Amino acid sequence: MEQAPRDPERQLQPAPLEPLGHPDAGLQAAVSEEAEGARDEGSGEGTMTENNFWLKKIEINVSEAEKRTGRNAMNMQETYTAYLIETRSVEHTDGQSVLTDSLWRRYSEFELLRNYLLVYYPHIVVPPLPEKRAEFVWHKLSADNMDPDFVERRRIGLENFLLRVASHPILCRDKIFYLFLTQEGNWKETVNETGFQLKADSRLKALNATFRVKNPDKRFTELKHYSDELQSVISHLLRVRARVADRLYGVYKVHGNYGRVFSEWSAIEKEMGDGLQSAGHHMDVYASSIDDILEDEEHYADQLKEYLFYAEALRAVCRKHELMQYDLEMAAQDLASKKQQCEELATGTVRTFSLKGMTTKLFGQETPEQREARIKVLEEQISEGEQQLKSKNLEGREFVKNAWADIERFKEQKNHDLKEALISYAVMQISMCKKGIQVWTNAKECFSKM
Amino acid sequence: MSGGPPKGLPSTGPHSLLDMPHPLAGSSSEEAVGGDSTPSPDLLMARSFGDKDLILPNGGTPAGTSSPASSSSLLNRLQLDDDIDGETRDLFVTVDDPKKHVCTMETYITYRITTKSTRVEFDLPEYSVRRRYQDFDWLRNKLEESQPTHLIPPLPEKFVVKGVVDRFSEEFVETRRKALDKFLKRITDHPVLSFNEHFNVFLTAKDLNAYKKQGMALLTRVGESVKHVTGGYKLRSRPLEFAAVGDYLDTFALKLGTIDRIAQRIIKEEIEYLVELREYGPVYSTWSALEGELTEPLEGVSACIGNCSTALEELTDDMTEDFLPVLREYILYSDSMKSVLKKRDQVQAEYEAKLEAVALRKEDRPKVPADVERCQDRMECFNADLKADMERWQNNKRQDFRQLLMGMADKNIQYYEKCLMAWESIIPLLQEKQEAK
Repeated sequence: MEQAPRDPERQLQPAPLEPLGHPDAGLQAAVSEEAEGARDEGSGEGTMTENNFWLKKIEINVSEAEKRTGRNAMNMQETYTAYLIETRSVEHTDGQSVLTDSLWRRYSEFELLRNYLLVYYPHIVVPPLPEKRAEFVWHKLSADNMDPDFVERRRIGLENFLLRVASHPILCRDKIFYLFLTQEGNWKETVNETGFQLKADSRLKALNATFRVKNPDKRFTELKHYSDELQSVISHLLRVRARVADRLYGVYKVHGNYGRVFSEWSAIEKEMGDGLQSAGHHMDVYASSIDDILEDEEHYADQLKEYLFYAEALRAVCRKHELMQYDLEMAAQDLASKKQQCEELATGTVRTFSLKGMTTKLFGQETPEQREARIKVLEEQISEGEQQLKSKNLEGREFVKNAWADIERFKEQKNHDLKEALISYAVMQISMCKKGIQVWTNAKECFSKM
Repeated sequence: MSGGPPKGLPSTGPHSLLDMPHPLAGSSSEEAVGGDSTPSPDLLMARSFGDKDLILPNGGTPAGTSSPASSSSLLNRLQLDDDIDGETRDLFVTVDDPKKHVCTMETYITYRITTKSTRVEFDLPEYSVRRRYQDFDWLRNKLEESQPTHLIPPLPEKFVVKGVVDRFSEEFVETRRKALDKFLKRITDHPVLSFNEHFNVFLTAKDLNAYKKQGMALLTRVGESVKHVTGGYKLRSRPLEFAAVGDYLDTFALKLGTIDRIAQRIIKEEIEYLVELREYGPVYSTWSALEGELTEPLEGVSACIGNCSTALEELTDDMTEDFLPVLREYILYSDSMKSVLKKRDQVQAEYEAKLEAVALRKEDRPKVPADVERCQDRMECFNADLKADMERWQNNKRQDFRQLLMGMADKNIQYYEKCLMAWESIIPLLQEKQEAK
């Protein structure tokens, strides 16, 4: 109940040992360099490693959750849960770990961290957070965020999130992430100072690009399609599973009534009494066994939920590609039209409609000097545009390459994790069946003694 | 393969409504081996032995034959029926082979009743007749009339109250057949009832209807006189044992009623669980179509859930067909018992009233009048018969419930075993690809 289903002492991929950069001086530079470095990853390992803040193997635990009260931004009293994050570094010689950092964070801070990562690593499938509100509940589970079971499962989910980030070859090197784990006070300000919110693409822009992009990379289109379907199928699965859990609960619990009635019946029987009484006890055991069984199943549901949310992260990467591609297409279109305008001006033929052409017709021809000036401006713009197009093209290709690399990594991870999840689910079912056989065999023996 | 004496069966009319896989169509052979019914004599002859073990019914007796398998059945019989006072069985009755008869006026089911006996009351060693439910009903009424001091076993309900059940469905007919079989076996086991003339006629007459019309010719004296006992006598004191039984029966019926409701509720919940499972499994299939490496594992899980669903359906069917009817039958049984107890009370009350009337007359007659003596006889007879029947009933009840509840446990065990097998078999499938990576 305490630990996440996976190994809680998951350690980082061994990143190269690097000295800590000077925290304050290098902060801004480091952050932006971090961001650039991430994007230019393909251009050489060398540039990346200089300002790494990350060190040897570490362990991360979200070990506790605590209810707190405080004042929120609007100075209103609120209750929230805070989570204790403990970081340990592991001496690889003897495997001993030493507590290096320990601080408290609330859910909203995790959200802030993730939003930051989304902006600065758009080509990475960023690990998702556990759900904000309890969804896919079956009747026994509370939909209340303060419910201890929900909080417990969230604690595990948050730990899982941190472990995922920490084990990602690129994300683990992020300075803000490092500070999230090590600098309790002032972290929020630090993140906001990066100005990442401004850098974020607007939803509207992204939506527009999705509709209008003409030539996106087919793989991304397919991937987007896949992530839509994945999201739909896992949602469906979780919904039905919740109903199945509900019904199963009912079946087991009703058997508890046998316990009582057998007991009452045994009171009026002579020879049959003992057998009935003890069988009734087994029926009670059977009825109460379902609680643990379903609790275990919740872990399975959580594993599925993670991938449900991962589908959204996949979509985000696809959207970014579409945006970049659309941008590129627009820039190319713009450049082409400018070139045409220039040509028309130079040759004097008007093929396309332009406002200038219109006004010229209305207000008279322009002078050759005016025309020359305009051509010059256009030529400058064209040259600039060509530069921009070239760099956008490069950017786009880099993005596709890096994103696809991370997507491949993600696919491997997904296949591995989901297979593990299915295995553990099967194991749970097997355990449930064995318990059932045990209880009914015991009951049968009691009946035989009637 | 040895066989018994060949039997010429009377023609049984239209084809059997049940789809029989056995080459000798016309016998409920398949159920016989698997369930609560007894194998019919022809079945034992026609099949090769050693194919399946003969599974014997709850506390009943199988039809004996001269085939090798019957020696094991003999052994089983002795083990099961140790409550019968070790007497040698000389009467065996079986109900099987339901057939649907479609006539202009009505459609109904008849069952074949096979009797084997060495008793002198039977002219032939073997009989086979066909009877319908209303014949059983007639028999029961006749028994109640002619043996009022005895407990007559209950019949399955005449009308299907639930409304939705199809009177001609296989499940309903089979359930009814088992109950009718039980009914006759209980009478067969009874040292007094089994010698009843009406019972004999029921088992042997070619034309029962003609006999029915003959009327009351065979009523015994005791029956007649008890019939004439009017109500309205107040009981002084009930003998302790009968009072205790009365109380017991009240509570017993209550508890059985509760168990019936619980069992029904469980079945209902299980069916709803099944409905959800049937939607759940296929979603894994849908998912597997989206994936590459995960396709087989997901498909495997889907199939697994499908297997569990099937196992669950079998469980709920079994419980509905085998468990609930037997439970209900016992509720009816305890109701019959209570009405017999009431009759006994009446007889006692009459006796006491007559006795009191004599005492009040204040005559110097030293002799007790004859009719009061007769009343006393009647009462003592009744008490003795009833006491014996109650003991027999208690024993049978214990056996029957032991078997019923063990059966329920068994069905659940089998369900879980099927599911366990399904899940265990996909573990290697889920793991295998992992290593192959």
